[in-house]
Amino acid sequence: MPPADVRLTVEDLVVGFGGNTVLQGVSFSVARGFTGLIGPNGAGKTTLLNAISGYVSPTRGRVLLGDRPLTSLRPHRIARRGLGRTFQTPRLVPELTVWENVMLGLDGHIGWDRKRSHVVSLARVEELLRQLDLNDWRDRPAASLPFSSQKVVEVARALAADPLVVLLDEPAAGLGPAEVERLIEPLKRRVEERGLAVLIVEHDIELVTRLCSRIVVLDFGQLIADGAPAEVLRLPHVVNAYLGAGVAAVG
Amino acid sequence: MNPAVRYGAIGFGVLALGAGVFFAPAYLNAYLMYLLTWIAIYAIAGTGLTVLMGWTGQIALAHAGLFGVGAYATAYLAGHGWPWPLAALTSSTASAGLGALVGLPAARLRGFYLAIATLAFGELLHQAFVQLTPLSRGPQGMAVVPIQLDGIDTPSLVWYLAMVILAAVMVTLTALGRSRIGRCLKAVRDIEPATGSLGISAMRYKLLAFAISAFLAGLAGAVFGQLITFLTPDLFDLPLLVIFLVQLFVGGVNRLSGALIGAIFVIAVRELLQSHVVSSLVPALVGSGQTLAFGLTLILVVRYLPSGLASLPARLRSRRPRPATLSPME
Repeated sequence: MPPADVRLTVEDLVVGFGGNTVLQGVSFSVARGFTGLIGPNGAGKTTLLNAISGYVSPTRGRVLLGDRPLTSLRPHRIARRGLGRTFQTPRLVPELTVWENVMLGLDGHIGWDRKRSHVVSLARVEELLRQLDLNDWRDRPAASLPFSSQKVVEVARALAADPLVVLLDEPAAGLGPAEVERLIEPLKRRVEERGLAVLIVEHDIELVTRLCSRIVVLDFGQLIADGAPAEVLRLPHVVNAYLGAGVAAVG
Repeated sequence: MNPAVRYGAIGFGVLALGAGVFFAPAYLNAYLMYLLTWIAIYAIAGTGLTVLMGWTGQIALAHAGLFGVGAYATAYLAGHGWPWPLAALTSSTASAGLGALVGLPAARLRGFYLAIATLAFGELLHQAFVQLTPLSRGPQGMAVVPIQLDGIDTPSLVWYLAMVILAAVMVTLTALGRSRIGRCLKAVRDIEPATGSLGISAMRYKLLAFAISAFLAGLAGAVFGQLITFLTPDLFDLPLLVIFLVQLFVGGVNRLSGALIGAIFVIAVRELLQSHVVSSLVPALVGSGQTLAFGLTLILVVRYLPSGLASLPARLRSRRPRPATLSPME
């Protein structure tokens, strides 16, 4: 049964490249708060994020943001409907400053119709820089930032347009424990304040169990589990597919 | 620096520059004024390439043709009684429309393929100047009706016109580069695959860049007609494209100042190659040999100074040894 306050619904999603079916009829939903998406390498996690955000066209199934279908829309139109995302490797404009890169998260949404006021945009960027502790870096070009700060900037940019749902693709990958805290704590606060729904792909199982109220598990393009972390991480087929007996104790 | 001092210095600099521009025709000889006007015109055209190639990362090789569209269309309309400003604006807008049309393949083509497509479009325009004789008079050439203003001779008027347009273009593009549109153009250049996730339509911004670039080429072409006073199709062929590319890369692809620095460079080199000393020493550099010289320059600059002359001050600053300092522990 889907959880209450569902923001994103994935229904029977099938994605294939050539003769390979990468996602095989995946269905789940994302509600407010954090939902974890885990699975072994090659399970189809990033492909799933790409299909949700319009970068890959599914051969079957549909994606709903609230009750509005996203399938067949182009990525920029999906983003404007309220879906933000990050990538495994930060994709910042090296020449632009941190402030400008975060502002870029709003620029496409201000759009040609100027529905969003410039003043509101400026205020929101300032708020994000403060919350994510980026003020010291604000006037530095993104190229000069350490990797961990680039990741934080990308998350700030994804949050700038105040999306309904955010897809985070391995936000903690390559970060040390202190850097993970620096990213995750303000992110948690922001998600709670704004009532955001976040689908987070992450290999750090401890982080996933700490953040998420639900976990969905992919293996070979199939959804093999969906539920509370404590339950899902004890399921034998999840342990076999991904975790290994030693890590299962975390749940 | 104190902001008041800084703004004072900028204000003084602008005033001095304005005075220099205003009084130049009174103190400089006609040929030098002709060259300076030419530099200003190439700088206007060059800023278009800065927007398209430098900021947006698109390869575009139809610039010479679009420059020609501005020149021919303005000359044609002005020759049929249109006021010059209206003719120039209409022609530049038409050039922008054609530029957007050139940009359409950019939706699917990249790199080498986009270069070929835009080069072919530029050649198509060149052929149109040759073949559409009712409009362009073909190889026979088209005389340009000179602009007139009481109390100012035409060469001085063209100089003022070029400088006013160049100043307006520089100010506008500087603001554009720092605006939302400028950020989006640079995002298309650097992170095109990710732009969709930011709500940015990469295609829309590419077309905008192609249109802005073509508008500026057309506007520069319109003034060029006034400078050169007689248009023939060969003025807008491949050698001009090579000159524009040398200008862009020598000056610096990403910087607006690069368009001006590059324009000074290409006109200075051209004058040097045409000088009596050089032409008597190396006769091969006269005429089509110039294109060869510019082509070689392009290769050398791309190899040894990829960010162009505009980047030199920053490069020199970064190489300057810093004074040694001792830490308190020492």
